[in-house]
Amino acid sequence: MVIDPKDVVPFLTWLLPALGSWLLVVMGVCVVVTAFGWLVAAMRHGPIRAFSITSHVFRNAWGDLVRMSPQRIWALARLAIHESIRRRVVVVFGVFIVVLLFAGWFLDPGSVDPARLYLDFVLTATSYLVLLLALFLSSLSLPTDLKNRTMYTVVTKPVRASEIVLGRIVGFMAVGTMLLVVMGAISYVFVERGLAHTHQLSADDLQPVEGSTPGQPATLQGKTSLVHQHRHKVIVTPSGQTSVETEQGHIHALTILKDGDKVSYKLGPAEGMLVARVPVYGKLTFRDRKGQLAAKGVNVGDEWTYRSFIEGGTLAACVWTFEGITPKQFPNGLPVEMNIEVFRTYKGEITKGVPGSLSVRNPSKPDNKPVEVRIFESKEFVPNSQHIPTQFQMPNGKRADLFRDFVDNGRIELWLQCVAPQQYFGAAQADLYLRAQNASFAWNFAKGYFGIWLQMLLIVVLGVLFSTFLSGPVAMLATLGALLGGFFNDFMYRLATGQTYGGGPFESLIRLWTQQNQTSPMEPGLQTTTAKALDQVAEYFLLGMSTILPDFSHFSFADYVACGFNISSDTLLTFTCRALAFALPVFLAAYFCLKNREIGK
Amino acid sequence: MGSRRSFVRKIVYLVLIAALLMPLYWLSKPATSAVKGEQGSPGGVLAQLRSKDHLSQTQLGQIDPGSVTIKLATLGLRGVAANILWEKANDFKMKKDWANFGATLNQITKVQPNFINVWSNQAWNLSYNISVEFDDFRQRYRWVIKGIEFLMDGMRYNQHQPRLQWDTGWFISHKIGKADEAKQFRKLFREDDDFNGSRPLAERDNWLVGKKWFEETVAMVERGDHILGKGPLLFRSDGPMCQMSYADNLEKDGTFGEVAKNAWAGAGREWQRYGTAEIPTSWKNEDTQTPVVIRLGEQEMHEEAARKLIKQIDAMEPGLREKLKAEKRAALSKAQREALDTPPEKRTGRQQELAFQAEAEVDVTHREVARRLSDKTRKAEALKLAKEAADHEQLASYISRYRDIVNYAYWRQRAQIEQSDGLLAARQIIHRGDQAYAEGDLINARKNYQRGFEGWRKVLDRYPSLVADESANESLTDSIKQYRRVLGQLDEPMPDKFILQDVVDAHLKSQGEEPKKKQEELPDAAK
Repeated sequence: MVIDPKDVVPFLTWLLPALGSWLLVVMGVCVVVTAFGWLVAAMRHGPIRAFSITSHVFRNAWGDLVRMSPQRIWALARLAIHESIRRRVVVVFGVFIVVLLFAGWFLDPGSVDPARLYLDFVLTATSYLVLLLALFLSSLSLPTDLKNRTMYTVVTKPVRASEIVLGRIVGFMAVGTMLLVVMGAISYVFVERGLAHTHQLSADDLQPVEGSTPGQPATLQGKTSLVHQHRHKVIVTPSGQTSVETEQGHIHALTILKDGDKVSYKLGPAEGMLVARVPVYGKLTFRDRKGQLAAKGVNVGDEWTYRSFIEGGTLAACVWTFEGITPKQFPNGLPVEMNIEVFRTYKGEITKGVPGSLSVRNPSKPDNKPVEVRIFESKEFVPNSQHIPTQFQMPNGKRADLFRDFVDNGRIELWLQCVAPQQYFGAAQADLYLRAQNASFAWNFAKGYFGIWLQMLLIVVLGVLFSTFLSGPVAMLATLGALLGGFFNDFMYRLATGQTYGGGPFESLIRLWTQQNQTSPMEPGLQTTTAKALDQVAEYFLLGMSTILPDFSHFSFADYVACGFNISSDTLLTFTCRALAFALPVFLAAYFCLKNREIGK
Repeated sequence: MGSRRSFVRKIVYLVLIAALLMPLYWLSKPATSAVKGEQGSPGGVLAQLRSKDHLSQTQLGQIDPGSVTIKLATLGLRGVAANILWEKANDFKMKKDWANFGATLNQITKVQPNFINVWSNQAWNLSYNISVEFDDFRQRYRWVIKGIEFLMDGMRYNQHQPRLQWDTGWFISHKIGKADEAKQFRKLFREDDDFNGSRPLAERDNWLVGKKWFEETVAMVERGDHILGKGPLLFRSDGPMCQMSYADNLEKDGTFGEVAKNAWAGAGREWQRYGTAEIPTSWKNEDTQTPVVIRLGEQEMHEEAARKLIKQIDAMEPGLREKLKAEKRAALSKAQREALDTPPEKRTGRQQELAFQAEAEVDVTHREVARRLSDKTRKAEALKLAKEAADHEQLASYISRYRDIVNYAYWRQRAQIEQSDGLLAARQIIHRGDQAYAEGDLINARKNYQRGFEGWRKVLDRYPSLVADESANESLTDSIKQYRRVLGQLDEPMPDKFILQDVVDAHLKSQGEEPKKKQEELPDAAK
C-alpha cells in the first residue's frame, strides 16, 4: 500500500498550522466578498449608504445564523427526507443489491489478495452510488421546488434562508447516512461470506519429509485441499506442533484430533484476511554506501520512484527513527513488519532470499555503531515479520536491554541493511513499521464508510450551494464538475504546475490532433505560441480550481481498509476537520446566494 | 386542411419507415436452425456473413454472461473502456500492485473477450514480465502458471484461434524449461497437482506437456483454423523439438538407460514424421502459380531421382556434357580461366568475382545437353528427362534451404547418435562425476570424469561432426571445466595430452580465441 508521509501526521501537529491557514483564507475571502458587496452597493446607492447596506446584510446574516432553530431545521430536513423518498432513493439501494448479486462474476477469489479485491469493490461501488445519489438529490431539489412553486409554501412560514439551506443539507445527509449504514452492513456480510472458507486435510495428505528415518517418528508435510484456488502447505512435527503456510494473506488454525490410533486433522476458518493492523510509523532517512546521510537511496531503474534502494555489502542503510516507544506499549519487544523490495544484480542463490539485517541504535548516541539484532531472508510483496526482543546478546558478548540501551525519550533508530554484496533492498517510509496491535476490523470497515460519508457531505454542500443560484440541470453539471475536479485534483495541480508530459490542455490537444508524442518539442510558430499562451491562462484557472476544490480521492479510506491497515484516529480527525472546514464556508456561501434571491428575502 | 396535411404526412412517414424496414430485414434477419424436419433459414446478409467468417459469439467461443453484461453496460464505449483499463493495468504494473493488476486484466478480457492480443500479450506479461518481479522462485512459478491459465481462459472464448494453443505450448515448454530457474520450475511443474490434474506423473514433464499443446495447434490448423504470424516450417517443428528437449533434459536430470534411449528414439521418430509433413514454400509453381509444397525428408529422394535422370541423359551420348563444358570453358576470357584455375583460397578479390562469373558461364544445364544430342530422334525424350531432373534438383535445393532454417539434418543425426549405448553410458558416467563433485567426493568425481571422457572419445571418433557442435556437447564442455576444478582441488595438473583436446580447441575457437596448447587456459565462466 502506498502511504503519503504527509498523511501520517499526528492530528494536533497538523491542526494548529492548518487552522491558521484556514482562518487566514476564510478571513481573506470575507474581506474580498465584503469589499465586492460594498462596491456593488456603492455603485447603486453611493459609498456612505453602501456601508449601511453592507452592515445591514451582515447583521441580518448574523441573526439568521445565530438564531437558527433546530426544530425548524429538522422540520425542513424531514421535508428533504420525504422528498428524497418520493424521488425513489430506494432505486439506488436496488442497484447496489443487483451489483452485489452479480459481483461474483467479476471478483476472483483466487487473486493474490482476494480480501483487497472484495473490500475495494464494495467500498468503491458504495462510494460511486452514494455520491451520485447525493449529487442528484442536492443539486435538483431546490430548483425543482422553485419551479413547482412548492418552495413558496415553505418561505411563507417563518423560516430563515440559513435554515432552508441547513435543513436541506441535514435532510440529504440523513438519507445518505441511512443508506450508507444499510449498504455498509450488507457489504460487510458480503465480504465476510465471500471470503469465508476452510480446507480439508486428511492423514493421507501428509508424508514424511525427505531424509526421515523409517520407523522413527517423522515430521510430516503436505498440502490442504484446494479451496478458493489455493492450498496451504502444512507441517506437523512429531511433538504435535503444527505450522500452516500463509497463502493469499491468511492462514488457518490446525487442530490434530486423536481417536485411539486414528489421527485426523481439522482446519479452522481463515485468519488474517480481514484485519486492521495498527502500525507505528517512523521517519525514514538514508545512508549511502559510505555510511553518510543521503537524501535518498539508489534508483535501480524502476519507473516508479516510490521506493529508494540501498546497496548490499556496504554501509548503505534505510534508517527509521521511531518516537513514543515505551516498554508499556511494547512489553515483549518490537514487532517489526516490513514490505521491502529486492533487486538482484546477479542471480545468486535462486532457492534462497537475499539476506538482510535489522539493527538498533540509540538516536542520542550518533557516534555509536548500530547493533545488529536480526538477520533475515528477504520476502517480497508479503509482510515480513521480525521480532526485536527486549533482551539480547550484542556481538561483543554483552547482554543488552532494548529500552535501557537503545531507547532515548521514546526514540529509537532501526537500521535496515542488505547483507549480500551487489544486491539491493528498496524501501519507502511506510514499508517498515511496528505492528503494535490489531484493531477491530468491523470498526475499521465502519471508518472506511465514514470516509464515504465525508465525501457525501462535500457533494451535498456543493450541490445545495449550486442549486441556490443555478437551474436544476446546470446545478447538477456544476456539482458533477466539482466532483470530477475533486477526484482529479492532483492531476489538475500537476497539469497547472507543468509536472505532466505533453504541455497544457491546448498543447496536448494539438499533439493529439497531429499525433505527436508527448516529449518532443513543438515546432516553433504562431500555433505553438498561441497554444502556450492559452495554456498559461488555463493553468491559472486549473491551479485555482485545484486549490479551491477538496481532493476527493484523499477522503477515501478504501485503501487502508482493503490493505488491512487501521485508519488512525489522527487520520479520521484530520479529514473530518478538512471536510467541515470546506463545508462551513460553502454553507455560508449557499446561505448568501439564497438570501440574495427574491425568495430568500 | 391542416389536419388533412398532418394525416398525409403521417402516412408518408409510415411508408418511409416500412420502406426502410425492408433493407433492414434483408440485412439483419436472424438465422434459424432446422427443427423437426423443418428446414432452417441461413438468415439475412449479416447473419450469413457472421456464419461464414465465424464471427458469432457461439462460433467464437463460450458466451459469458459477465462479459456480455459489461459489453452492454459500456453503452458502445467498449473501446474507450478497454483503453482506460489498459492504462490502469499499466499503472498497477508500474506500482507493483499485483492484486489490482490481475483484477484489471480480468476486466479487460470481459470487455474484449475476442481480441486475441489481449490474451496473448497479457499472458506474456504475467508469465514473463510480472513473474520476474518476484524474488522467490516459487512465487515466480505461480505467475508463470497464472499466465498459462490466462491463455487457457482465452481459449474458452476463442475456440478457433490456434495462436493461444501455440502460446500455451511455448510458455509451458520454454518459459518453464529454459528459465534460469528451469531446474526448480520443472520440479514444481511435476509436483503441481492443481495444474496437471489427473495427468500421470510420468507425463508431467513440461516439454511433453508443451508438445501436446503444439500438436493441438497443428491439429487445429489442419482442421482449417488460421494461425497468424507463424510459418508452417517453424511452427510444425515445435512439437518434435519439445521431444528433443524432453530427452535432453531427462539426461540433465539424471535419467539414463532405456528411458532416455526411448525418449531419443521418440524424438527421432517425430523428427522423421515432421520430415513427411507438407510445407508450402514461398516459391510459386510457374505453371499453376500456387506455392511449391515440399517435404523436408525428401531431399535425398529428389537428389537420387535427379541423379538417375542425369545418368540416363548422359547415357544417351556419353562425353557430351564434358564436351559442352570444354566449349564453354574455351569461350571464357583469359582472366576468367586464370581465376578458375587458381585455388579458391589463393584468389584475389577480383579473381573471386571472375571465378564466380566463370562458374556460372561454364555450367552446363541438362536441357543444353538434351538439345545438343546427335541422335535427334531421342531429343524429345531427353528434353523431358532434363526437365524432370531440373525439377528434382530445384526441389532438393528448396528443401535444403528450408532444412537449414530448422537445422533439420543436425537434429536428425543428433536424435540418432543420442540413442547409441556408448553416448548414453558416457553421459551417465559424467553425471555420476557431477554428483560426486557436488558431494565433495573428488576422487570418485575424477574417476568418473575420466571414464566418461573416454566414452565420449569413442563417440566423437565415430561422429567427428560433434566435435565442433556446441549445442550437442555443451554439457561436455561444462564437465571438462568441472574436471579441471576437481584436478585443481586435488592439486593435480591437467594432462598434457588431454583426451578431448579437440573439443576444447573447438570451444575456444567458437569463443573467438586461438586454441591453446594446454587445457589450463580453457576459459572458465565461473572464474
